[in-house]
This record gives sequence, C-alpha cells and structure tokens, in this order.
Amino acid sequence: MKVPNILRLVYRNIVVNTDPGSLVILLGLPAMYLVFFGFGFQSLASGNRGPSYLDFLTPGIMAFQAVMAGTVGGSILWADRRWGMLSQLLVGPFTRLQYLLGIMLTAMMFGLGGAMVMLAVAYLLVGTAPIGLVALAIILASITVGSIFFGALMLLLAALVKSNTAYNSIQILLIFVVNFASTVFYPLSSGLPLVLQALFRANPLTYVSDAVRGAYSGTLNATDLYQMLVLGVETVVVLVLAVRAYLRADVSYE
Amino acid sequence: MQVGQEPPRTEEWAVRAENLRHSYDRRHFALDGVSFSIRRGEVFGLLGRNGAGKSTLIKAMTTLIQPTSGELRVLGFDPSRDGRRVRERIGVVQQAESFDFTTVQGNLDVYGMLWGIPKAERERRREQLLTRFDLGEIRRRRAFDISGGQKRRVQVAREFMHDMEILFLDEPTVGLDVIMRRTLLDSVRAEVRRGLTVVFTTHNLEEADYLCDRVAVIDEGKLLALDSVENLKQLYGGKKTIDLTVADSDPSGFFRALGAELAGSATLTVAGHAAVLLTDDTKAALSAIVTLARTHAVQLDWLNVRKNTLEDVFLHSVGHGGEGHEGP
Repeated sequence: MKVPNILRLVYRNIVVNTDPGSLVILLGLPAMYLVFFGFGFQSLASGNRGPSYLDFLTPGIMAFQAVMAGTVGGSILWADRRWGMLSQLLVGPFTRLQYLLGIMLTAMMFGLGGAMVMLAVAYLLVGTAPIGLVALAIILASITVGSIFFGALMLLLAALVKSNTAYNSIQILLIFVVNFASTVFYPLSSGLPLVLQALFRANPLTYVSDAVRGAYSGTLNATDLYQMLVLGVETVVVLVLAVRAYLRADVSYE
Repeated sequence: MQVGQEPPRTEEWAVRAENLRHSYDRRHFALDGVSFSIRRGEVFGLLGRNGAGKSTLIKAMTTLIQPTSGELRVLGFDPSRDGRRVRERIGVVQQAESFDFTTVQGNLDVYGMLWGIPKAERERRREQLLTRFDLGEIRRRRAFDISGGQKRRVQVAREFMHDMEILFLDEPTVGLDVIMRRTLLDSVRAEVRRGLTVVFTTHNLEEADYLCDRVAVIDEGKLLALDSVENLKQLYGGKKTIDLTVADSDPSGFFRALGAELAGSATLTVAGHAAVLLTDDTKAALSAIVTLARTHAVQLDWLNVRKNTLEDVFLHSVGHGGEGHEGP
C-alpha cells in the first residue's frame, strides 16, 4: 500500500527533528511550568478558599502546548530552508502545499501529544481529577485549532524572516507575549491595566486556554465557544497569509 | 514544430527548450533565448562561468522557477503546469549542501522513505550505495559533521536511492579527490548504460570530456555552442592551439601587433603575459610570433603547440581568456 505523500513528510519531520534531548525539553518544559509554577503559586494562595491554583494552571499549560507546537512547525520550515532540505524536497515528488500541510500536521501532533503528556503529568504528579471523554474531545479539538493557528503564525515568520538571529529573537518575544498576556497562568482580571486587558482579549492563546479550562473543569460556556469560533476565523486568515508568504518565499539554491 | 506536441511517453527527447528566457528582476535576463534538446539516455553537459545561467536553467528544468517566456518540456511535460509529474521522474543533486539532522545512513533511509521505496528495497539500496560511495565507515556519523568531500558523496549517493529518468547533477564533484571523482563519474556512466539521462554542470572540462555525449556552452544567459565534445573540438577545423608566455613587463604592443598580423587566420586570447592562439596554420603563426618578438624586442618564455582541448573550445566560445581579450 502506498503511503500518502503528506504522511511520509510527517514521518520524516518527526524522525529528523526529534532527538530524545529536544523531545524531553519540548514536552518537559510545560511540565516544569506545571510543577514549579503550580506548587510555587499554590503556596502563595494557600490561605484562599476555592479551586486550587494547580487545577487552574493544568488546563492553561495544556493550552500552552499549542504554542509549543507552533514553534515546532516554524522551526522545521526554518531549518529546512537554512540547511537546503526545502529546495531538495521541493524538487522531489511533493507539492509545496503538501510540504506545508506536512509541517502543520506535525505541529498538530506535537500539540496533541504534549497535551496528553500534560494530562498524565497532572494526574500522576499533581493528583488532578481524570476527565470525561467529551471534555477530552473538546480539549483536543481546541488544542488542534490552536496548534494550527500558532503553527501558521510561526510558518509566516519563518517564510518572511531571512536572518537566523532575527527569527529566534522574534520567536522568543512572541512566545513571551503570547504566553504571559493570556489566561494560561492567571485569569483576566479587571484590576489589570486596560492595555493588558485588551492584549489578553485579543490573544488567541486566551481563547484556547479558556476553552480547554472550561472543558477541563466542566464550566464551558457560550463565551468560550464564541471565542473558539473567532479563533477558527483567525486561524484561517493566518493560514492563508502563511501559505501565500511561503509560496512566494525563495526556496532555490545557488 | 511546436515543442511538446508528442505524447509524453513516446517523447524521444528528455528535455526540449525553445527560446527560453528568464529574468529575476525584469531588467536583466539570466536566460536569454536559449534553445536546445536533450535526447533520452544522453549525458548532457552544461558549461559556463559562474553566473552564466547554468543554475537558472537547472532550476527551470527541475520546476524550482517558472521561465519568464519560451517553451520548455521535460519528459514531455511542461514543468510550469505539470511540475509534480516532472519531479516524480527526476533526481536532483544540488550545488548547495542539503541534509537532514541525522546520520549518513539515516539521510539515505529517510530520503528513500520519502520517495516511497519499500523498507526491504530501501535497505538493500542503502547498503549498496554506502559501499559504492565508500561511506561505510562514516555511516553512523551525523551528516553535518563529515568533511566536504564526504558530504558531496552522501548527496550523490542519496539521489540513487530512488528511480528516475533524468538525473540533474549541479557541480557534483566539487571537493572530491581524484579517485572519488572518478568513482562518481563511473557510477553515473553505469546508470547511463541502463538508460538514465544525465544533465551535468561542471567547471571541470576534463570531467565533461570524460562523461558527456554533448555539451552546451552558456554565457550571459545565451547558448554559445552546442555539439558533441568531439565535434566541438573539431569546430575550428584542424586547428591547433599555441600557448605562449612572454617575459616583458608590458607585452601589450607585441600582442596587438600579433593580433593584427594574424587577423582572419587565428584567434588570439590574451591574459596578462600569456596568450592562447588558435590557428589552422601553425607554421605561419609561429613565424609571425618569432618575427614580431624580434621586432618588439620581446623575450619568449614559453611556446607550445598542442591539439585542441574542450577547455580551448570553452574559452573561445565564451570569448574570454581572462582580463585582456584581443580578437584577431
């Protein structure tokens, strides 16, 4: 049986881009967030009543996997262009679109895999309650959309930026802003400066985080679903921009 | 006759190009009206200086760029419209390095997998290629950690992991030692005997002489000469080449006079104190050299008469021997 081109590309992306060390860091970093931030801030809030900070943080960190997945997608395109494999693959039996979809699918798999690891870590280390199948499906669907959004965003960056230093700097800045101006680590509060509140509301990671948290804690509401709809539209827009930038990017060699 | 009217599978030609033009900036043409055909099973050499248009031509044939105008057919397909069909049937060894972050054998394996080669066949080909290209000892080393020559061998070996009808080799022997270069060229020859068509760019004219059935000389985007190596060598009839070097600090007057004296009967290419003279009347040319050297009080350092090589053909086609060029 002939394996479809996109799946061959996904397999290749996984095999050549995931050595055990980087895999541990990729999946371990969010787990470390969970452990350090979870236990650290939990102790600060120990006097308060209500749900524990760990319960709040766990779905947030699961949503954060969408951003990590996005960086995987951008890095694959960047590395392939930098090390000549992009033009080599594109003189092979693939279309440019297949190559791009292969990266997006790889990123998505990393996002979902990471979320499952987080779920296991939260259950084993932190002792959070197991979730139902419907909640799991909503969580995975939210992370899938988030992974595609951030994957497309990073692909757009990788297609436009020519310098390695610039690519890394912009990626670090993006991750920082997206991560900390979202509801991953703390809720959107009216006490925040208005600019930060606006940033929170415009941040796609907030939508993913809220949806995952809603499904995780059984409090999913209409706002969460509306936000996911907005994220879906935003994802399509960024994806179209990324595809256009990538198709126009110079892949040739000299 | 319009290019590409024949059904693809009965196409006698591997590549046909007619009046091909390509511009990167809409002002200068990297390809400027190039027309040629490559027969199936032929080794076709592209010779030219850096920036002559060789790589642009390869990019057009391998679907990486769309020519600005003109007709191009590869295996009967239009690369601009049927890019995927073309790519499924060709192999490309690029000039630049291209590796996956894995071992030498991992690179071969992954590449074979990408081309859909079944696992058992992949392993068989991998072992065969590791041996043929003397890569056995470095098979477990990361491709980025090996030497330049070894990388080149891996790139070429990797391309033989899959089947193809045309192999494009863009300067494949750069950085290889003499033995490995010959091994590579012989490997290509063996594949040609099995029906493979090869398009080969090189700066090394001896290689082109050794490997190519026909060569095209390209410069400033234009095709200057295209024929079999032997025919090109005979292009100037039974002409011979005279190499001469003079010892004087300013031999320009001598070379000017020599050019004028031999106008119409010889081609003179000058580079500093050295000159290459292509003529069919060596007796008259030698006589003029000696006479004018005496007249201009120039001391001859080196004088040699020899048969034409492909390098002479190339130099005369391109019309440059170096910094100073004086025609007859």
